[in-house]
Amino acid sequence: MFTTMKTQYILTIVFAGLLLGSDSPVDANEFTSLTVGPPGNDILRGADARKQLVVTGETADGWALDISSGASYECVPEGVVKIDSRGFVTPLADGEVVVRVAVTGQGDKPVVGEKKLKVENYVDQPVVNFPNQVVPIFTKHGCNGGGCHGKSGGQNGFRLSLLGFYPTEDHEYLVKEGRGRRVTPAAPGLSLLLRKALNLSPHGGGKRFGEGSYEYRIIHRWLRQGMPYGNTADLRVERVEVFPPQRKMPKRSMQQLSIIAFYNDGSYEDVTPMATFEVNDKEMGEVDLKGRVQVYDLSGDVAVMVRYQGQVGVFRSTVPLGVEVTDLPEPRNFIDTAVFNKLKLLGMPPSKACDDQTFIRRVTIDIAGRLPTAAEAEAFAVADAETRRDRAIERLLESGSYADYFTNKWAALLRNKKTKATYELGTFAFHDWLREMIHTNAPYDQIVRNIVAASGDLQSNPGVVWYRSVNKTEQQVEDSAQLFLGMRIQCARCHHHPFERWSQKDYYSYQAFFSRVGRKKNPDGLADAERIFHNRGKASAKNPRSGETLSPAGLGGKPLDLTPDSDPRQALVDWMTNPANPFFAPALVNRYWKHFFGRGLVDPEDDMRVTNPACNPELLEALAKSFIDSKFDLKNLVRTICQSKVYQLSSIPNEHNVRDKQNFSRFYPRRLNAEVLYDALNQVTKSQGGFGGVPPDTRAIQLPDAGQKNYFLTVFGKPMADSACECERSNDANLAQSLHLLNSKEVLGKISNENGRAGLLSRDDKRTEQEKLRELYLWFYSREPQSEEVNLALAHLGKGEKKAAYEDIIWALLNTKEFLFNH
Amino acid sequence: MLTIFGDRSDSGFCDRLPRRSFLSIGGLAMGGLSLPQILQAESENRKNPSPGAGRSHKAVIMIFLPGGPPHQDMFDLKMDAPREIRGEFKPIPTNVSGIEICEYFPRIARMSDKFNFIRSIVGASGGHDSVQCLAGRSDKDQPQGGWPCMGANLSAVEGPVHPSMPAFVGLAPDMGHKPWADAGQAGFLGVTHSPFKPSGPGKADMVLDGISLDRLADRRGLLSSFDRMRRSVDSSGAMEGMDSFSRQALGILTSSKLARALDIQQENPRVRERYGKGIPGNVADGGPRLMEQFLMARRLVEAGARCVTLAFSRWDWHGGNFKRGREDMPMLDQGVSALVEDLHQRGLDKDVSVVVWGEFGRTPKINDKGGRDHWPKVSCALLACGGMRTGQVIGSTNRLGEHAKDRPVHFQEVHATLYHLMGINPKTTTVKDLNGRPHYLVDSQYGPMKEVI
Repeated sequence: MFTTMKTQYILTIVFAGLLLGSDSPVDANEFTSLTVGPPGNDILRGADARKQLVVTGETADGWALDISSGASYECVPEGVVKIDSRGFVTPLADGEVVVRVAVTGQGDKPVVGEKKLKVENYVDQPVVNFPNQVVPIFTKHGCNGGGCHGKSGGQNGFRLSLLGFYPTEDHEYLVKEGRGRRVTPAAPGLSLLLRKALNLSPHGGGKRFGEGSYEYRIIHRWLRQGMPYGNTADLRVERVEVFPPQRKMPKRSMQQLSIIAFYNDGSYEDVTPMATFEVNDKEMGEVDLKGRVQVYDLSGDVAVMVRYQGQVGVFRSTVPLGVEVTDLPEPRNFIDTAVFNKLKLLGMPPSKACDDQTFIRRVTIDIAGRLPTAAEAEAFAVADAETRRDRAIERLLESGSYADYFTNKWAALLRNKKTKATYELGTFAFHDWLREMIHTNAPYDQIVRNIVAASGDLQSNPGVVWYRSVNKTEQQVEDSAQLFLGMRIQCARCHHHPFERWSQKDYYSYQAFFSRVGRKKNPDGLADAERIFHNRGKASAKNPRSGETLSPAGLGGKPLDLTPDSDPRQALVDWMTNPANPFFAPALVNRYWKHFFGRGLVDPEDDMRVTNPACNPELLEALAKSFIDSKFDLKNLVRTICQSKVYQLSSIPNEHNVRDKQNFSRFYPRRLNAEVLYDALNQVTKSQGGFGGVPPDTRAIQLPDAGQKNYFLTVFGKPMADSACECERSNDANLAQSLHLLNSKEVLGKISNENGRAGLLSRDDKRTEQEKLRELYLWFYSREPQSEEVNLALAHLGKGEKKAAYEDIIWALLNTKEFLFNH
Repeated sequence: MLTIFGDRSDSGFCDRLPRRSFLSIGGLAMGGLSLPQILQAESENRKNPSPGAGRSHKAVIMIFLPGGPPHQDMFDLKMDAPREIRGEFKPIPTNVSGIEICEYFPRIARMSDKFNFIRSIVGASGGHDSVQCLAGRSDKDQPQGGWPCMGANLSAVEGPVHPSMPAFVGLAPDMGHKPWADAGQAGFLGVTHSPFKPSGPGKADMVLDGISLDRLADRRGLLSSFDRMRRSVDSSGAMEGMDSFSRQALGILTSSKLARALDIQQENPRVRERYGKGIPGNVADGGPRLMEQFLMARRLVEAGARCVTLAFSRWDWHGGNFKRGREDMPMLDQGVSALVEDLHQRGLDKDVSVVVWGEFGRTPKINDKGGRDHWPKVSCALLACGGMRTGQVIGSTNRLGEHAKDRPVHFQEVHATLYHLMGINPKTTTVKDLNGRPHYLVDSQYGPMKEVI
């Protein structure tokens, strides 16, 4: 859309009118200035170079909006480059050019900006560099993905390295395999490589690109030039930069991205059309193949992962709600400060604070894994209003239930399961030991050290039981990384991690820490109770791809030279617990955040990577720092979280934050976990669990065997301790659950038991029905019943037999969402 | 009264039983519906099928034959083999010229143009379990949480047809040999995608015991009055999920769509007759011989299930192979032929696939007890409907029936074919395990069978 008249600017209707939705906070004609980015890096080298411009319009009220697709472009002088309507530049000849960009601004006056570009080395038909020009085509078009030719064994007899991680191999497969049948340099258009890509020869993958396209021309030229590998064997991409790195975007708006790759020889190249883009939350937005992001209607943060040649970058977008936030409560601690700042930035007013009854129930569930007793709820209601919430937190932290609940949480992740009968001693010993550590508030780094670097027999050092359940080296590597570093490095075992910078070298260097784990028969002859020890020798591991022998190195850390006598696992824990370690503390605080809020700052909580950023990075950093400063004090972390006003927000939405899912502007209700629900059921009906192998009054959260089978628990999603992932726990609804709760013999039996709650209440003739109902409500909901509810219940009680009536009421209350959910 | 067949375990000795043993569910006195009422109800159902039910979605019915059926005595008779191997049964011609199957499958023979006979199934790991067929994968080196079976995959990838009808239903009852009773594991996909098992450990939950219908209705009224928490509080959909299943559960207890689907008494008696009367009760440690379950499977699929698995009899004949074959094969013949014919008549043949198979085949040489032993090298399978090209034999074994001679078909190729017929591309569709790693629905080297699609 460029004019032939040099000095005339086309005044077009700004695309912004289409860009911004009708309830967008920005007025279309409010642009005061525009800038043409990305800044710097304005040389296009070679005829194959390209450049994506990003035009940003600034408005009077401080928005920076993308108008790349709506501005008019003019090149002065012409003939050096050509530019399309989206701001995408292709060179035509050597020279310097000024790109003038115009848009309609305030009062219909034109707003202009310009960018100088330079074209160099415009040689017709430059020599194609295979790894840097051809391989990215395979990655962009999915040829070398895990679903097609990238999988081991390839597809239909043709294979490529996964995501182009090994271009030398790709060159061999293409040029040398099959007696060179895939390439026809004398008549490039007849090459099987091109014919398949165009679907001229039948191709399972269909047509990947067209005959006139850039990709076709590059490959065609590469073939005609005799399939060269490239003039510099070592030229590789060191990093990619995403412009802009972040933006505040109105709802339903768009943002064009520009991606520049930097090579190890200092050169750079715009690779926007060849990079792959992926959104981390599909409900919030999408991105097209040319790097233009579109956000939808939801407010919050969304990130776009950008990948090119093994390097990754990220674009972060914040979509504000735009409501004025005026009466934020005074922050109690840094958690409140960070969350309220974010809510102010987003323009999302938080809900009110929750009332006391909601608080006592919520905090008892979250800290102690149980419902408050009726007495506790009653006592709370009359305690001193200023201090009672803090005191409840302290009381719960000191209680045995806190230790039970958090031991239950960790034991499942640490796979403490009685897989065989002979495992019983170890399973119970480990559970006991872990509970003691949590109850006495041993520092977290000490607990981890006593598991990861555990040596000895389980009779004296139960931490070694972890090595019994997790007995293969890969499992030790992957579980420890997932649990304590919040990272899933499994992918890097066999190839370069697709979403992160971890290579196989990183994986195996980390594995070297576990290379000297020795096992011996238990000296007392106990079965399945091996002694774990450090097998004297130099710790190392072999990278199966390169054959290189690797010294132990933490992820992203320096290789360590350890003597044969030192246990490399101790060195691993040293690296983990070092205050400078960027993964250890954030992983823990994020996990605990998810425990209390239902959603991690990074979600999933064990998938923390650059390309999956936290929805509030400042908060994550502050939490991690506070945790490290407290010397890894777990109870203090829980205290800080529960004391914050953010944790104590109500779950009832206001008119603005109903759909909020990631900004913690209100409490997100979630169903009680299976064990907590079972114990709650027993508590309100005054019955017991009846688990085998443990005392009869054992609660579900106290079970030492993380794999203990029980129909109720299984059907409500209790994990079987088969993995290190909290995602193994499933809180989704299903039909068997509902049937069991509504109609099982077990549940109905608990309700109708003679000495259960219904029986006791019906036989109690010393109190009025109102008093008894009040007690019932305190048990179920930790609150007083409202008068409507009392009338309803009294009406039912008047109908017939008392015990049956109480049973009916209890049955109904058990199935209400207020009971089943932690709200 | 809604009845579910098959449970004899708590009924005592067979002599004292009436001819049928039932589980009663609910309390509606519906046993006395007259034929016009039935027909009217059926026609109304056809006029207003529930959204997504019946004709508008794809489904799979998987019939598992526990124990490993004798491939050379069913669909691949080896008349050129010596007497010690070929056995007592004779082949009969079918309505597809060139295909001959065992004489005890006359009904299937009359409609063989609607079937595919796979004679060269390979890839069995040799274990006595249904996992081999339901998931097609070895139980060694499983990812954390275990492999999900086909039904769980379908439940996860497609979701339910409508919110209150489970996507995956497993009809196999508890059996003496537990791995056969496995109606399908959800593996790493989690308990939400486990099969709903009307006769599983939760089966007693479906029976109103000690609570009358009136009292249940009363309680239901109380519940809706007390249950005041607004769903708007919930941003995750969890409350709605629970409500939806609660409604369906209450519906089962008071007779609902799912309940009606399970109640074959509502079916036209002539249709029921065509399927035949099965024998309730498990065969030793195996499954029941209830062709009624085939009918139930058809009704469940019509009501919106995407995958129904069931088990039929016990085929692990280490002795008395031919005596047992004469008992069970005609029943299987009747049930399967009725199911396929029924699907065709109702116009469901393009949408519903049927597969019948066991975990491995049996030894060519007949042992001294007149039986055959385990033979994982090769086995057989039957495929029908689903919009497939039918009326063919795929693959063959050698003269003695020992190994696949040409066109070996792996269990996963059958799975890939079934996924393809459901409209799912097994080569591009992935499910994530507990480590976040995506897995394809079948191993990458297996694709849908070109002969069939």
